[in-house]
Amino acid sequence: MVFLGLGGFFIVNSAARPAAGKEIPLVDVKFLDRTASRRTYADLVKANEDLSDYDCYGCHEKGKPPPIRYDANQKIIVPKEHSDVVMGHGSHDRNNLCYNCHNEQNLLTLQVRDGREVGFDNIPQLCGSCHGPNLRDWEAGAHGRTSGYWDRSLGTADRLSCANCHNPHAPRIPTRESAPAPHSLHGPAGTSSPHETTH
Amino acid sequence: MTPTLPPPDDKTSDTSMSRRNFLRGAAAFGGLTALAASLAPLRQLEDFSSSEQFLQKYYKELTPDDMTKVIGRIEREVQKEYGIRPHVRDLKPMDGVEFVYCLNLTRCIGCRKCVHACVNENNQSRNPEIQYIRVLKMPHGSMDVEKGDHTYEAKSVPEKGFFYMPVQCQQCQNPPCVKVCPVNATWQEKDGITVIDYDWCIGCRYCEAACPYWARRFNFTKPEIPKERLNPNMAYLGNRPRKQGVMEKCHFCIQRTRAGKYPACLEVCPVGARKFGNILDPESEVSYIMREKRVFIQLKEEMGTSPRFFYYFDK
Amino acid sequence: MITAARNYLIFIRRCTRIAFVGDWRYYAWMGLLTVISLLGLNAYAKQLVHGLIVTGMSDEVSWGVYIANFTFLVGVAAAAVMMVIPVYIYDNEELHDLVIFGELLAVAAIIMCLAFVTVDLGRPDRFWHLIPGIGQLNFPRSMLSWDVIVLNGYLLLNVHICGYLLYCRYQNRKPGKWFYIPFVFTAIVWAVSIHTVTAFLYVGLGGRPFWNASIVGPRFLASAFTAGPAIIILALQIIRHFTRYRITDKALLTLRSIVQVSMIINVFLLLCEVFKEFYSGTTHGVSARYLFLGLHGYHALVPWIWTAIALNLVAMVILVLPVSRGLRWLDVACVLSIVGIWIEKGMGLVIPGFIPTPLGAIVEYVPSLNETLVCLGIWAFGLLCYTIFLRMSVPILQGRIAKSNEGQPELQGDAPAPLPDPLPH
Repeated sequence: MVFLGLGGFFIVNSAARPAAGKEIPLVDVKFLDRTASRRTYADLVKANEDLSDYDCYGCHEKGKPPPIRYDANQKIIVPKEHSDVVMGHGSHDRNNLCYNCHNEQNLLTLQVRDGREVGFDNIPQLCGSCHGPNLRDWEAGAHGRTSGYWDRSLGTADRLSCANCHNPHAPRIPTRESAPAPHSLHGPAGTSSPHETTH
Repeated sequence: MTPTLPPPDDKTSDTSMSRRNFLRGAAAFGGLTALAASLAPLRQLEDFSSSEQFLQKYYKELTPDDMTKVIGRIEREVQKEYGIRPHVRDLKPMDGVEFVYCLNLTRCIGCRKCVHACVNENNQSRNPEIQYIRVLKMPHGSMDVEKGDHTYEAKSVPEKGFFYMPVQCQQCQNPPCVKVCPVNATWQEKDGITVIDYDWCIGCRYCEAACPYWARRFNFTKPEIPKERLNPNMAYLGNRPRKQGVMEKCHFCIQRTRAGKYPACLEVCPVGARKFGNILDPESEVSYIMREKRVFIQLKEEMGTSPRFFYYFDK
Repeated sequence: MITAARNYLIFIRRCTRIAFVGDWRYYAWMGLLTVISLLGLNAYAKQLVHGLIVTGMSDEVSWGVYIANFTFLVGVAAAAVMMVIPVYIYDNEELHDLVIFGELLAVAAIIMCLAFVTVDLGRPDRFWHLIPGIGQLNFPRSMLSWDVIVLNGYLLLNVHICGYLLYCRYQNRKPGKWFYIPFVFTAIVWAVSIHTVTAFLYVGLGGRPFWNASIVGPRFLASAFTAGPAIIILALQIIRHFTRYRITDKALLTLRSIVQVSMIINVFLLLCEVFKEFYSGTTHGVSARYLFLGLHGYHALVPWIWTAIALNLVAMVILVLPVSRGLRWLDVACVLSIVGIWIEKGMGLVIPGFIPTPLGAIVEYVPSLNETLVCLGIWAFGLLCYTIFLRMSVPILQGRIAKSNEGQPELQGDAPAPLPDPLPH
């Protein structure tokens, strides 16, 4: 009797599925995005896009270096035509002069302190004139982003240059949102860290 | 007339015998019915081996013909399950190549994009969630993983006072997981990647207990991969969809790296904190890092595992 | 040749038939065990379909009650053979027949161990990968491969010894020394090895400092030799009560002294372990801190381990005092020891090794209902096996099932009239 009852229970119960775990939403595709943070002049040239942003002499006069004005606190005043530029290169406003990098004689190029002119498509030589260790690391592939083939005999590696990640006027990499935390199989994953952030 | 002896008063009289036998028979019948019924859930068993998979030989014993058949089976199964015909290859290690991974702890911002790029590239289960990479938020001043926070979430990372350390399979030169596997389902190949034959693993989880880096993952149930995010470029020892009951782990994106490409975690990293390459090539970026950088950490070096994963700081 | 085979088959058939015969208490007991076993089987069927997600295990705590029970039962199996030592080495005639009961317990325990390992596997259909020659057994590097070999070997050893001795008794034949004495001595050494190998499964993992300590092996043996003979003491009293098999108190007291000494050693080793984990204050003691004191607000195991320690200490005190010469107190001490050591080996060894994870995360473990049913089912099945073994062996040892009374009606119902003393061997 007991066995038959048990058998019946088994058959009825076999249809049951285990309780579904918590729903875990698919991660937002923005966290899978591989494109560079910024597009440089070289990228625009390669993509045959509009270069009018770099056509300095469309507004400025040749042979007449644009003047730079400072306010009462020695802070540079960015002209309203270039209001998208936010200055922040170096702490304590060290790099407070446009012509540290821009060439006042030829606005279409950049200048290195030793007098060399550098094109907008060859920025690393300019950045590296002050940031030597980073330049050496970048040239060896140890700094910055690379994608493509590690085995250069099978294909090319696509190296990003400085301005693909760093805004030349405010080079510190901005903070960003982190992707969601991991989900443990049973219950929340605790940690032993006392520094747990609240969210 | 000689008095007849009364019949022996014992318990072997016919009626009680047959009653007892009937009860025993009924109990036996009920028991067998209950036994059969107890196995009723097995009606839902869909995923278990076909006979060809049951008898499939160990990876190292598969002839090229065998491998072609096996790959055909895998491609058919994936097509049936996801509606996409994948391209599965059995990539062999390249000569003169030994992989090393370097991770710049000055640069990592803890965004976890590497975690999700890996999940996407390697067809990991979304529910239950399997992620090969775990990012630890560490307080400045300590490499003690006990102090790490795994479940941080922030609107802006990196946060002041912390550094971030992603941990994945270290592809140790002296791997404890390989030592303990009872069936040799996991081993290290000559290019340094520790691989798993998913069709040989018996799911005992001894390797998971043995790993000092918590790098190995188990499929507690059938993995759930959304069809629209399936990556059809697969390798037999790499990112082909796994079955319920087997182990998996980071394999340095074997389907990419053995074809000469960078792993997915490296490509998505927005700050270029990850560096990968052939340590036997003196011109590679990893050789440069190993030569030039002074501060160098192998996680839990005292374990004697000799990881191929090197953490370093720029400043 | 043919007659030998025929005789053996008749022996097997009679043994099988006697297993289904008994009084109402026997049927109730077997019925209950069968019900629980079937519940366990049903739960396992669900696990086969849906995977190990039906248990409480996770990547963080990847071994749970299945392996905990396995570890405990390997100890019981190893200890069953501890009775062999006084008999064969010290020539203690009192215990001679009781050795068989101990070895049958070992067989039942090993069956349970193999069942627990099988239900823990993610792909049990691939068990053939473990067979050397056909599969790829990673011997000698993997301690699990050693475990596979020694456990199956131990099972075969004990099945042979018991089967041979029982069959000889059935035929009223003196057993040939060469057919069992070498095996018995092998079994003594083998018993120590099965539990040492199981201990080494844990000890060999450098990534888990809680287990990677040399004290684990000796502690395993000490706790096994406490719990195992304790189970046998209880089993022998049950046999004595339900059959008329003659078991002297002297036998029980010999076992008591084994349990007593082993428990004292077990408690001493516990003290050694506690000192090592807490005094030096290294980060390697964090799992012990979780177990004994709780860690960062997680303390699920703390009540369990302190209960186990209390049970063990009380049992030790009782065993040391002369009151435990009286069977009632001895039984209390045995039950306390068994429960205490079961908790220690399960929750006190297996689970804390996973908390925190090697990366410092804490995820606690609670066995699910399905998992618990499978465990109960296997325990019930093991007890079922052991009851059947006893049901077969006691009449044989008593001479009530013998070749000489082949062909007579089988035993029925209640225990029949007592027979003369067992025939001399």
